[in-house]
Amino acid sequence: MDMAVESPSSLANGDSSAVSTATTPAAAAAAASPPSSRMLQLAESLKLEHQFLRVPLEHFKKTIRAHHRCAEKEVSAVLSSVAEAADRSDAMSREAAVNHLSSLVSRLQGLKRKLEEGSRAENLQAQRCRARLDHLDSIDVENLTEWSNTRLKRILVDYMLRMSYYDAAKKLAETSNIQDLVDIEVFLEAKKVIDSLQNKEVGPGLAWCAENKSRLKKSKSKLEFQLRLQEFIELVRADNNLRAIQYARKYLAPWGATYMKELQRVMATLAFRSNTECPSYKVLFEPMQWDYLVEQFKQEFCRLFGMTLEPLLNIYLQAGLSALKTPFCFEEGCTKEDPLSQEGFRKLAAPLPFSKQHHSKLVCYITKELMDTENPPLVLPNGYVYSTKALEEMASKNDGRVTCPRTGETFNFSELVKAYIS
Amino acid sequence: MELSTIKDAFDRVAKKQKLSCSKTLEVIDLVGQEIEQAMAKMQSTDNGAGCFDQKSILLELKTKLNEMVPMNQLEGSQRELNVGLVKYAKILEKYFNPDISKAYRNIDFDIHIVNQIIASHFYRQGLFDLGDCFVREANEQDAATLKSPFLEMYGILEAMRSRNLEPALNWASKQSEMLRQNGSTLQLRLHQLQFVEILQKGSRNEALKYARTYLAPFASVHKVEIQKLMACLLWAGRLDRSPYAEFLSPSHWERLAEELTQQFCSLLGQSYESPLSVAIAAGIQGLPTLLKLATVMAAKQQEWQAMKQLPVPVDLGREFQFHSIFVCPVLREQGTDENPPMLMPCGHVLSKQSIVKLSKSSTRPFKCPYCPLEATVGQCRQLHF
Repeated sequence: MDMAVESPSSLANGDSSAVSTATTPAAAAAAASPPSSRMLQLAESLKLEHQFLRVPLEHFKKTIRAHHRCAEKEVSAVLSSVAEAADRSDAMSREAAVNHLSSLVSRLQGLKRKLEEGSRAENLQAQRCRARLDHLDSIDVENLTEWSNTRLKRILVDYMLRMSYYDAAKKLAETSNIQDLVDIEVFLEAKKVIDSLQNKEVGPGLAWCAENKSRLKKSKSKLEFQLRLQEFIELVRADNNLRAIQYARKYLAPWGATYMKELQRVMATLAFRSNTECPSYKVLFEPMQWDYLVEQFKQEFCRLFGMTLEPLLNIYLQAGLSALKTPFCFEEGCTKEDPLSQEGFRKLAAPLPFSKQHHSKLVCYITKELMDTENPPLVLPNGYVYSTKALEEMASKNDGRVTCPRTGETFNFSELVKAYIS
Repeated sequence: MELSTIKDAFDRVAKKQKLSCSKTLEVIDLVGQEIEQAMAKMQSTDNGAGCFDQKSILLELKTKLNEMVPMNQLEGSQRELNVGLVKYAKILEKYFNPDISKAYRNIDFDIHIVNQIIASHFYRQGLFDLGDCFVREANEQDAATLKSPFLEMYGILEAMRSRNLEPALNWASKQSEMLRQNGSTLQLRLHQLQFVEILQKGSRNEALKYARTYLAPFASVHKVEIQKLMACLLWAGRLDRSPYAEFLSPSHWERLAEELTQQFCSLLGQSYESPLSVAIAAGIQGLPTLLKLATVMAAKQQEWQAMKQLPVPVDLGREFQFHSIFVCPVLREQGTDENPPMLMPCGHVLSKQSIVKLSKSSTRPFKCPYCPLEATVGQCRQLHF
């Protein structure tokens, strides 16, 4: 069991020891590390991109389904219309029969036009699915910086879409020319429902539920029931009790088998009315119920499209902050290059676990470079440790003397000793 | 990863989709043709034939259409496409990690903090319009604190790109003291570049005047550089053919722009790289390990949500190494103030506790666990990284 977890890290360890044999400075280190382990790391990071391929696929599937349903409906309507005309007991005049048939022909032509248009839309969506595969395939050690920048933009667009910052999301996608790599259209569909819920309307939400009925049923979604409950509550609020009862008979009763408790609770509001002070019913009339519905809808929506329920940004940020979090990040002298030197990041990281280290990793105070066998640590007589490179450079400029930047003491280069850190 | 396999699988799905589309249209056409034929038949029969004929034509049409079973045909092609789609979705699930939130700890990030981080990220990347749009839409007015300093920085860099050093020099002279404290020679190098520019235009007198005013103050500290620059005066207007042609290299501009960015960020109290980029990049490198760990720990969900430290190391590239971390090779624990690293005379480093343990708290010599040499506690000294 331990092995399974250790394997990726031991690979990465192999990486770092291999890196240490390279003499290039830290900036070039990424490129200098052996391509195989670097590629392995890239492959690992690509495996995280499921959502990137899944969302356009779900969108594609949805479009196909909708077109197919439309074709089925129309064709079967035409067929039954023919059958009906043929089976009619009273005879049709010739003119009427011809007219009837010609109306069916034009109906079929209309359907054909619609499907041809639909087919173009499907092709575009297929292209988008394909473009994303190509984009994943284009990652390489050479274009890594640019590719990672694009990835960060994708993550940011995802965050903004989920937070309903549509304008900023569109702007970022357009200015970076990554429209095919983000899911703006998909989210605009959600926007309609979210906007209506924020306006206290359930119509579009219910329509969305109907559209995705079978899939929502499969995932045992409660959303439709919750929307119905809210609509019922609104009728009670308006003191429209008779209609409320009718509504409950028609739309709530079918859910009785699954959600009896909630149904009973909501029905009791008929007795308590909207101005009740009874806390367990009062809450049902609160406006925040609508916010709750928005959240519920967002979750169902994400699930349906195969997205993570959390924004990608939060997931990556959490993992990154945890991996970066060491007790040293919170010390006074923390370097500004560490994100955790900033108040905001520190607050976000507060509830996250610290990272763990199995091996020493020493960073030279002067050059900020990693000290390893190529650039081993040297100990000054006062116990302070710096990299060989930094001290050699200092000595060559100062006739063989080095000054400890933290204590100000000076020593001869010959007084320094090597430290072996395993 | 076998991306080509996945691409092939998708291409097959796309092909099936096209097939299904044309099949559907074909079925519709066939139905339409039958109806049109029936219409033609009705119209061709002479007027006297009466209603009986129409009825029989309609009945015939009905049977013909029923024999065609268009609904089954529609469904058949669709079913095949569906099978392909399901198969492809399964392939994605197999090659990719279908749930990257498995290692997510259920805590809510403070939205305002995240938004502020994002707004700052946009401004520091020079995406000012986007930053403004974001701040407006997210309603985070106080998230724009970094806008004006970065506007200034990008203004300076923009001017440098069009070979105008004026704004950069102004800024550097204002920050002269701070730059010197940072150990940066940015100001001198900007003046040097300006000097070479003037010289390149051929005006020796002007260059000399410039050097007297702006370079002279640096002479005491940077004698060698200034001497070289003065020698350039001899080649005014034909510096490219001089031993000092190197001064003309456009790479000076690039390097200086980079140095300026670095110093500007540093004086602002900001990092050179966007902290958001760094944190996300670290997340992308670290997440695969965390996900594997979460799978192993799936049964201990509660432990996962509550642990104070990750149970295994998550190895990040050296670009994420910001702190010296000493792990005692004997105890396998991170060093602390109470348990600091100690250097033994042989050069090996252990934690204080290990050394106390090895020496059995006596002053007698003990053997280093990594080499044959012996040491006493008194010979070991504490290290500071």
